[in-house]
Amino acid sequence: MASTPRAKTFKSPTKTPSNIYRKSYLSPSSTSHTPQTPETHTPLRRSARHVSRKIDLGNDPIDAPGNDPIEGMNLIRKRERAPRKPTTDVVPSKSKKTETPKKKKKIDSFTPVSPIRSETIKKTKKKKRVYYNKVEFDETEFEIGDDVYVKRREDSNSDEEEDPEIEDCQICFKSDTNIMIECDDCLGGFHLKCLKPPLKEVPEGDWICQFCEVKKSGQSQTLDLPKPPEGKKLARTMREKLLSGDLWAARIDKLWKEVDDGVYWIRARWYMIPEETVSGRQPHNLKRELYLTNDFADIEMECILRHCSVKCPKEFSKASNDGDDVFLCEYEYDVHWRSFKRLAELADGDSDSDQEWNGRKEEEVDDSDEEMELDDEVLKSKRGGLTSARGGANSRKGRFFGVEKVGMKLIPEHVRCHKQSELEKAKATLLLATRPKSLPCRSKEMEEITSFIKGSISDDQCLGRCMYIHGVPGTGKTISVLSVMKNLKAEVEEGSVSPYCFVEINGLKLASPENIYSVIYEALSGHRVGWKKALQCLNERFAEGKRIGKEDEKPCILLIDELDLLVTRNQSVLYNILDWPTKPNSKLVVLGIANTMDLPEKLLPRISSRMGIQRLCFGPYNHTQLQEIISTRLNGIDAFEKTAIEFASRKVAAISGDARRALEICRRAAEVADHRLNTNKSAKNQLVIMADVEAAIQEMFQAPHIQVMKSVSKLSKIFLTAMVHELYKTGMAETTFDRVATTVSSICLTNGEAFPGWDILLKIGCDLGECRIILCEPGEKHRLQKLQLNFPSDDVAFALKDNKDLPWLANYL
Amino acid sequence: MGKETPAEKSLNLIRGRLCDPSYVFRPLSASSDSNYSKLKFIVSTSITEGCNNSMLLLGPRGSGKAAVLDLGVGDLLEQFPDSVSVIRLNGLLHSDDNCAFKEIAKQLCMEHHLLFSKMASFDDNSQFIIAMLRACGLAHKTIIFVLDEFDMFAQGKQRLLYSLLDAMQSVTSQAVVVGISSRLDADQLLEKRVRSRFSHRKFLFLPPSREELDGLFVHLLSLPADSGFPSGYVSRFNDKIKNLTSDTRFKDILKTLFNANSTVNSFLKFIFCAVSLMNLESGLLSLENFKAALSSMQRQPKLEAVRDCSVLELYLLVCMRRLEVKEQSSYNFISVMKEYKAIHDSFHTSDYYAQNVCLRAFEHLRERQVICYAENRGQSQTGEYRLQKLLISASELHQGMRSHACCPAILLKLLDH
Repeated sequence: MASTPRAKTFKSPTKTPSNIYRKSYLSPSSTSHTPQTPETHTPLRRSARHVSRKIDLGNDPIDAPGNDPIEGMNLIRKRERAPRKPTTDVVPSKSKKTETPKKKKKIDSFTPVSPIRSETIKKTKKKKRVYYNKVEFDETEFEIGDDVYVKRREDSNSDEEEDPEIEDCQICFKSDTNIMIECDDCLGGFHLKCLKPPLKEVPEGDWICQFCEVKKSGQSQTLDLPKPPEGKKLARTMREKLLSGDLWAARIDKLWKEVDDGVYWIRARWYMIPEETVSGRQPHNLKRELYLTNDFADIEMECILRHCSVKCPKEFSKASNDGDDVFLCEYEYDVHWRSFKRLAELADGDSDSDQEWNGRKEEEVDDSDEEMELDDEVLKSKRGGLTSARGGANSRKGRFFGVEKVGMKLIPEHVRCHKQSELEKAKATLLLATRPKSLPCRSKEMEEITSFIKGSISDDQCLGRCMYIHGVPGTGKTISVLSVMKNLKAEVEEGSVSPYCFVEINGLKLASPENIYSVIYEALSGHRVGWKKALQCLNERFAEGKRIGKEDEKPCILLIDELDLLVTRNQSVLYNILDWPTKPNSKLVVLGIANTMDLPEKLLPRISSRMGIQRLCFGPYNHTQLQEIISTRLNGIDAFEKTAIEFASRKVAAISGDARRALEICRRAAEVADHRLNTNKSAKNQLVIMADVEAAIQEMFQAPHIQVMKSVSKLSKIFLTAMVHELYKTGMAETTFDRVATTVSSICLTNGEAFPGWDILLKIGCDLGECRIILCEPGEKHRLQKLQLNFPSDDVAFALKDNKDLPWLANYL
Repeated sequence: MGKETPAEKSLNLIRGRLCDPSYVFRPLSASSDSNYSKLKFIVSTSITEGCNNSMLLLGPRGSGKAAVLDLGVGDLLEQFPDSVSVIRLNGLLHSDDNCAFKEIAKQLCMEHHLLFSKMASFDDNSQFIIAMLRACGLAHKTIIFVLDEFDMFAQGKQRLLYSLLDAMQSVTSQAVVVGISSRLDADQLLEKRVRSRFSHRKFLFLPPSREELDGLFVHLLSLPADSGFPSGYVSRFNDKIKNLTSDTRFKDILKTLFNANSTVNSFLKFIFCAVSLMNLESGLLSLENFKAALSSMQRQPKLEAVRDCSVLELYLLVCMRRLEVKEQSSYNFISVMKEYKAIHDSFHTSDYYAQNVCLRAFEHLRERQVICYAENRGQSQTGEYRLQKLLISASELHQGMRSHACCPAILLKLLDH
């Protein structure tokens, strides 16, 4: 969760600031003193500023006199200025004017001056470091993962004292307690009452000021912004400096302190404004948008100015009162390949469970050799691309060289600017890849799995146990287990459950059943070995109780999906995996998932006895459950009629009870409705109706052979009729081409059709066999070819009975 | 050698059209209800909305499944040049799972200019594919997997199908899996786990109607007026085509053709034959060209084999037929020779040959596949002792002998009794 940035102005020391910075660069061994408060300030003034800032950080609207808080405001990409208490503290203006530096758009010049020097210094000396997760520096707490403003040059310190946290109104040039609104185009702040006409409330949705509105309409007459009164300099906030290229933003990747000189450093991951990319600012870029790059640098903490807040799109939409230092970051920019990728949301990805148990340590002493090696790698990747000596992109699992090349040169416009309709939202939420927030209709089963696992790994006596979970496809077996494991992980973080390691394996994704040993061993130890070596190591661990590291003391939960594919001829793989939990001190819990109910009975007796009696059956969903599953996903989206959902639920429940099938039918119905509404744009009803669900069901469950039989050529129909006739005459399903041809000949003779010839008739039969309407032997057998209907003869009769061209076919069917 | 005549230029133009699937199927796909529109809509939805889809194209061979898909994917590649990459697999080549995964990784590397390693194992390739799907999904790129001969992938353990469809439901990716098969029961072949993950969007490709085929005929054979042809020739050629379509005899020719096979591919072959027989002097298509094309489309190779037999071979065929009539379902050369000798003794025919001459004629019949060995076992035996079977029927033999030029009359009499 991104918190409100704790802002504090960097106070000027007694000495000239440039002297201190130059001194620290030239001789890093010298100790940097904490800057002192200037003595020229009176105590009353300092106290007033401190009190004022404290109140401002709270953003408490109750303290604002005469302003009632606006309740229930639904602000989209709107940042309202919270009312602030007036301050009598006036910063004296500087007589010198700072020249605005030119924008540097080239990537080569992106690297700031400070990190180059620090890297040069760091390369020459290997030093001990103390790593931190959290550091308090200049009375401000900085943490790994925070976003901060970073100075661009040394002499930019002169602007520092002028940094106001409160933006001035663009019209009256005052900052007071009144509510302000921000223009979405120029990002300027305006008082509500200063506008013409004045606004009484903050409007919903996007808002553009009158100056930008005139500019956008393309009128020849330009409405100029009012100019500030004489003597008052227009103060720029840090946000404005960042977006105009005078500052940098970075994310803190690492925090450490040099042991020798006590200097604090961070590893910064840079953000970029759109102007600095090769593509420049694209039409769909928002004003407050940044890109996260893969460019890193080590900088001293003194270069950090203060916090800012970079948010993902969802959080950005909700950020309405977070102040001026809020930015949007949705894409990652690769500075080497100049391509964009969407940032993978952290909620989707499952972090490695081993790293979670380490927890957060206050400090950690690490050797700098490893750090130097990492720096070399970063520097190497900066200089050039990949070399062929590294091997192919697919040559090593888990490390794919060049995958970062896959990226868009330009972010497509339809992705950013397109506003989703209700149907598109429904389609997105009905995807099988979309993870619902809750898992309906499986609470009882999840409780049973939870109690099984908790009972197995509770306290220090870990019992080795097995559980077999079965059910037909699409009933939520795997997703229930994964959901239980996710909940357990949350409980481990809270501390109510002891740590464990979790391995998930799918039997259908293994190259061979024996490969499961390698996969398990790699998941537990991180080493890649052949399966025989892995089997030996796993035997040592589970059967003989040998353990190497501290990690091996934790219980191991093994989830094997598609368990029935591990059955080999002698079933040794299953035997080993199910035998390990029965050993003392193995601390292994096995969860097996398959579709068949009677898999244990099919196995050898010594394997089924080790599988135990712990069974869990996932029955097919009934129509009420399917309806609840679909309605839960469509919660808040008004795209489906209620009868349409019920119709789809009942249809799938009658056939298979497969949740995947139900979701796919609803999604296909939404697609059919979307296609229908695209072709017929004057339709008033925008919902998915029952006819769309019927069309989707018709397509998914249709019998294509009947339609094909209705549309085959005339002689093919006669051929099929002859086959049905032969079936009725002889009573045997199988017949030969000789008999069929004789029957066709007599049928054609009787009804006045021209007999095509035996070779043409043979080809017609082979074509029908290719469609699998009939089953036939290869055509080279000619007269002796064996033929058989692949579908029931009633289907053939149904398809051919009402033929218009050949009405006499009904006599033979 | 002089300049190319207008007849030759028009011939080349029409042949080029017939060999271009997009030219053939573009007018057939104009309707909004056509498979082309539905296909394109689903794939473009995957591109614009960032979702996964899977579908199955079913239809008889020659009905335009792959051609219509190529048409739709080609249009989308023009519309979204950076957002689409196509991976093509064929069941006849890549039905083995290891081979298929390697081929997918190879094509992914080629599409995105990565370095491909042939030494990668199954695990490496499958993990690489999942990583690429994730990376392409984050980059708003759609990968279209075209699985031709889909039923060949549905044999064995179906690891490829399971991995692709499972990756599409658990990874944030944008992928479309398109299966193409001429087997109408291809979705029944799927294993239950794969069937549950498959979306069962099935598009059926049926032969077009007569009106559509007539329109296609005019579309394929009309010369454009703004080309380099002489204007008089163009109008004469197009008038000839128009007269042909309204001719009753031409309609009968088409009717006979469509009675046997009404797919687009068969129609194209027919037109290609007719165009190839065009008279280069007049430069116009005539009814005789289409008649000759129909004759070549409706050949009967077994009947022609019987018609081209020698008299001795006919005697042997009649002897085999007589043995079958006597309920002797299996025979070898020795049995046939006995029957041949009996016929000679009974009817005192003048055409009697020695045994080694008859053996050579017998082997000649087997080479032309008029007869074949009854079983594959016992290959160590000499040719004259192995059991044989007659492949043509009695009516075919009768018809062939009647159309034979110098068939003795005694053979027809022998065949009837």
